[in-house]
Amino acid sequence: MARIPSTSRRALLFGTAAVSAGALMTACTSNEPTNQEQAADNAPVADDKPGKAVTIGFAGPQADHGWLNAINDNAKSRAKKYSDVTLEITEGSNDIAQQIGQIQTLINKKVDVLVILPADGKALTQVGLQAMRAGIPVVNLDRVFASPQAYRCWIGGDNYGMGLNAGHYIGERLKDMPNAKVVELAGLDNLELTRQRTKGFDDALKNYPNIKKVARQAAEFTVESGQAKMAQLLQAQSQFDALWNHDDDQGVGALRAIDQAGRDDFLMVGGAGAKSAMDAIKADNSVLKATVLYPPTMAASAIDLARGLGQGKGVGGLAEFEIPSSLTLYSAVVTKDNVDQYLPTGFS
Amino acid sequence: MTQPATAAQKEAPTSATKSTGGQEGSRRLGLRWDMRSLSLLAVLAVLVAVGGITAPDEFLATSNLQLVLTQASVIGVVTVGMTFVITSGGIDLSVGAIVALASVWATTVATQEFGFAGILFTAVIVGVGCGLVNGLLIAYGRMVPFIATLAMLASARGLALQITDGSTQIVTVGSVLDLGARDAYVLGIPPLVLIFAAVTVIGWLLLNRTTFGRRTVAVGGNAEAARLAGIDVRRQRLYLYLLSGLCCGIAAFMLIVLAGSGQNTNGNLYELDAIAAAIIGGTLLSGGRGTILGSVLGVLVFTTITNIFALNNLETAVQQIAKGAIIVAAVLVQRRSMHGDA
Amino acid sequence: MAPQPPLLTMSGITKSFPGVRALDGVDLEVQAGEVHCLLGQNGAGKSTLIKVLAGAHQPDSGEITWRGEPVTLGSPIAAMRLGIATIYQELDLIEGLSVAENVFLGHEPTSAGFVVRGSAARTATARILQRLGHAEIDPARLVGDLSAAQQQIVSMARALSHDVRLIVMDEPSAALDPEEVDNLFRIVGDLTADGVAVIYISHRLEEIRRIGERVTVLKEGRSVAGGLPAESTPTQEVVALMTGRNVEYVFPERPEAGFAAGREPVLKVEGLTRRGEFAPVDLELRPGEIVGLAGLVGSGRSEILETVYGARKPDGGRVLVDGTPLRPGSVRAAVRAGIGLAPEERKAQALLMLESVSSNVSVSTLSRFARAGWLDRRTERAAAHQAVRELSLRPDNPDAAIRTLSGGNQQKAVLARWLLRGCKVLLLDEPTRGVDIGARAELYAVIRRLADDGLAVLLVSSEVPEVLGLADRVLVLREGSVVHTADARELDEHRVLDLVMEGSLTP
Repeated sequence: MARIPSTSRRALLFGTAAVSAGALMTACTSNEPTNQEQAADNAPVADDKPGKAVTIGFAGPQADHGWLNAINDNAKSRAKKYSDVTLEITEGSNDIAQQIGQIQTLINKKVDVLVILPADGKALTQVGLQAMRAGIPVVNLDRVFASPQAYRCWIGGDNYGMGLNAGHYIGERLKDMPNAKVVELAGLDNLELTRQRTKGFDDALKNYPNIKKVARQAAEFTVESGQAKMAQLLQAQSQFDALWNHDDDQGVGALRAIDQAGRDDFLMVGGAGAKSAMDAIKADNSVLKATVLYPPTMAASAIDLARGLGQGKGVGGLAEFEIPSSLTLYSAVVTKDNVDQYLPTGFS
Repeated sequence: MTQPATAAQKEAPTSATKSTGGQEGSRRLGLRWDMRSLSLLAVLAVLVAVGGITAPDEFLATSNLQLVLTQASVIGVVTVGMTFVITSGGIDLSVGAIVALASVWATTVATQEFGFAGILFTAVIVGVGCGLVNGLLIAYGRMVPFIATLAMLASARGLALQITDGSTQIVTVGSVLDLGARDAYVLGIPPLVLIFAAVTVIGWLLLNRTTFGRRTVAVGGNAEAARLAGIDVRRQRLYLYLLSGLCCGIAAFMLIVLAGSGQNTNGNLYELDAIAAAIIGGTLLSGGRGTILGSVLGVLVFTTITNIFALNNLETAVQQIAKGAIIVAAVLVQRRSMHGDA
Repeated sequence: MAPQPPLLTMSGITKSFPGVRALDGVDLEVQAGEVHCLLGQNGAGKSTLIKVLAGAHQPDSGEITWRGEPVTLGSPIAAMRLGIATIYQELDLIEGLSVAENVFLGHEPTSAGFVVRGSAARTATARILQRLGHAEIDPARLVGDLSAAQQQIVSMARALSHDVRLIVMDEPSAALDPEEVDNLFRIVGDLTADGVAVIYISHRLEEIRRIGERVTVLKEGRSVAGGLPAESTPTQEVVALMTGRNVEYVFPERPEAGFAAGREPVLKVEGLTRRGEFAPVDLELRPGEIVGLAGLVGSGRSEILETVYGARKPDGGRVLVDGTPLRPGSVRAAVRAGIGLAPEERKAQALLMLESVSSNVSVSTLSRFARAGWLDRRTERAAAHQAVRELSLRPDNPDAAIRTLSGGNQQKAVLARWLLRGCKVLLLDEPTRGVDIGARAELYAVIRRLADDGLAVLLVSSEVPEVLGLADRVLVLREGSVVHTADARELDEHRVLDLVMEGSLTP
């Protein structure tokens, strides 16, 4: 439970910083010429120009889910962009022992920097420490290690912030409606991140006394479970005004259930940022009006950070000499108004 | 041909007209076993009462009945196939993985180009193909069913992941999607429920009225005796796993209709749900006795529990605890009624 | 002998199983330090008696006293606590455990009550093995890696690991070669010198004469003689006690000798053999004829039957039905050619215990009642009913559950299966096992009637009178070879026993 306060504090501390970082990342991924001019003049800043050659080791879990697959793709295509970066990517694995072995192999190969998305943050802390002691800086991606000593820099999404932003978005849309009812379709309940998302959502709704959360069911991040649980929710709640669904993958099933039940009397907000969800938002022909990002572009950013670490440079857009030790990404709300900007980052 | 047998054959029709009457059917052991499994009806009745009291408006609505039956139909079809396999003394751990593989194979961009028929055909063929591999390994490779189907579980899931790369394959074929829509209901019955009903009826007839069913029971009851009685036990086993694979293929198609997509995570833990439903339905895990009606009731019990919990907005943790408790309770009730009978 | 009470007395022990009275009044008295031999034919009740003594079966009535005190042997542990150990014929060792673990299974030396002290067990086991003259067996080895004879020694070591007063040995010499038998006798001698009593069961009279002191003879669940001196009682008296009967089996009348000689043989077995089981055997069976195979357990009689049926694959030779050779090792080929088998283990090998009589009868004939796989259950049931009626099976209800029937009627259901199929050759393996004496006569009559209707029957039985009374011709088997063939009327029980017991019965 120690993570929740720290995450929320992080969310507050980095409130403003994250906004600008988020903007920066967005700028990067949309492949516009970056605004390097704005960077502090005296700090060496990582840029697109070839520099010292860097070998980056990348270890992630098995890509059995659209989002994780997008993580791998983002990392690979980002690395390809730089002629000075060699990416050593391991076969993804959900087996903790196997992943530890893979990372140890990368350490033995003496890669310059490691980017690790652990299958389980707590369980892989030791191998993170090993790498750091061996003098290899570690960029810890998303699932955080148990000790800050196990990584040089952490970059990841904000589960609490997702819930918070989804809640705020729904709150603003329904704030003039008396006795508004909200329903939540959560993800896999065994995971801490699901509970963080729900907590953020609940905290945001507290700001709107006219809104009441009337039901919550947990699906399993799969289309099939999304369909099944949503069908039950629709049967249980004959009328409600808004729905937050934690995950766009299970959202495919949820939308299917909504379609089958012939319901369109509420607004739906998704989560994570799948391409199918963004397409639906853009088309504006379903109940899905927005989705809260948990951007897989963080993997591309992690490659940038790793390259910066390898070349001893800081991040553009900040006055700092060093790369920050922690970067929490902003869970932007994607609506019809800004969907075009995010569409390229949508994953399938 | 020797005399006694000829005599038996000749006299058969006469004695049939003499000694058989209306009570013949009900005295059959097979049907009586089905009657025993009907003790699950009591469990179901209790659940309906609980649902009706705790959520009267939502639970007793027609739309909810349609919902429960639809949700039961996919796992129900898988359970019918599983019932045959368990009755024969085997087990099929690969059903969930086969459903996943068939559903993603049938929803690739290439397959979808062939439209409705392409999706249906691919789902069924992939299911049958996996069943064939299972059957060959078990019947002729002499592998233990547990191990052979466990291997199939791993490989089919892996292949499904390979095909999708983890992404969700959205179905764009309108005719497939329409099958799950309200407009497609026949006299208020969703088409998926009709498929489930058809599979149930065919399964019941196959198990109780055909040589195939009788041989299945014989192999499960005493494989050695069946072999010495001249039954081709191996071929029978091959057919049984083929049948289970076929059911998985049909279920995969139904899941595609229901979820409008194919995903490698489909059919998650179907093997356990199907085994549990068959067992609480009254099929013996050791083989030799199977009841399709019981299995279907078992599936309905599970689906109804889930439905009642969702309607009452209970947490996942509570749902899981209660599900475990109900499995134990149903089996105990079952056991008691069987002992009373025997 | 009188001052001390006997170590063990059993009196008036009875024990019934459904349909069978296994023990019908057994008296047994064993003194400390003696070797007491138990003799009797198969089915005389020896195994049941041993199990009562081991606490595995509870007697229905009768008294047991141990060192003068009445006791009840309520469980195997209770018997063990008194100091009674049993070495069964089928070894009950766990192959995946080591020698020491097997020896001390259930009473492992422990620290703090639950931590097994493996080294202590191994040391103690090594000591016992040394005492048994088999120090070469490593206590740490897996039992599954040992030879049959070594496993026998481990069994014995297990018995001796308890504070034992009485050891029951059920045919301990069956799996041993002569040298090992000598060692066994030395061990038995050592044990009795220590005051331990041994109950020794064997078919081999010579062994009994060598080490036995007294003999108790069992017949049909009764002790017909107790305390006979082992050395001096004449062989003929022993055999007479074993074979003489109170209840005479009623065998159906048979046709004159040689009645079938002119008929074409329906079954021909030519040089059929399986290595290690039976030597090449030749056999001809004509319609209407019953041929019997007589021999002890392990003489290869059941194996021959199962190989003819295709349930075992032969190493050589062939089986012909009506002159056409069958595909070897295929039950389906045999069944299709018209052979039927009523196997030895009825419940394990023939019956579908959860099913009705009708399903059990029709299982080999299903496709006859089906059109495109669809069963006509009316015709099926009626045909089964007819077949069952022809054999006067009771109850006359094809819907009865098979498990509720007596052994004799279950056997009739198996016969009805082949009758319905219309087979030409019927193989019967121990057809009256578990069938009570009254019902046997009826079964014999049924078998003879089937033969008279034109079937050829091959009969295997461990009960010599059954073979002699029912068969037309008899083949006597010893250790996998046919040692004698004769018309059944030319043989008597003594002669056959003499032949199967390795000529130990020199009159």
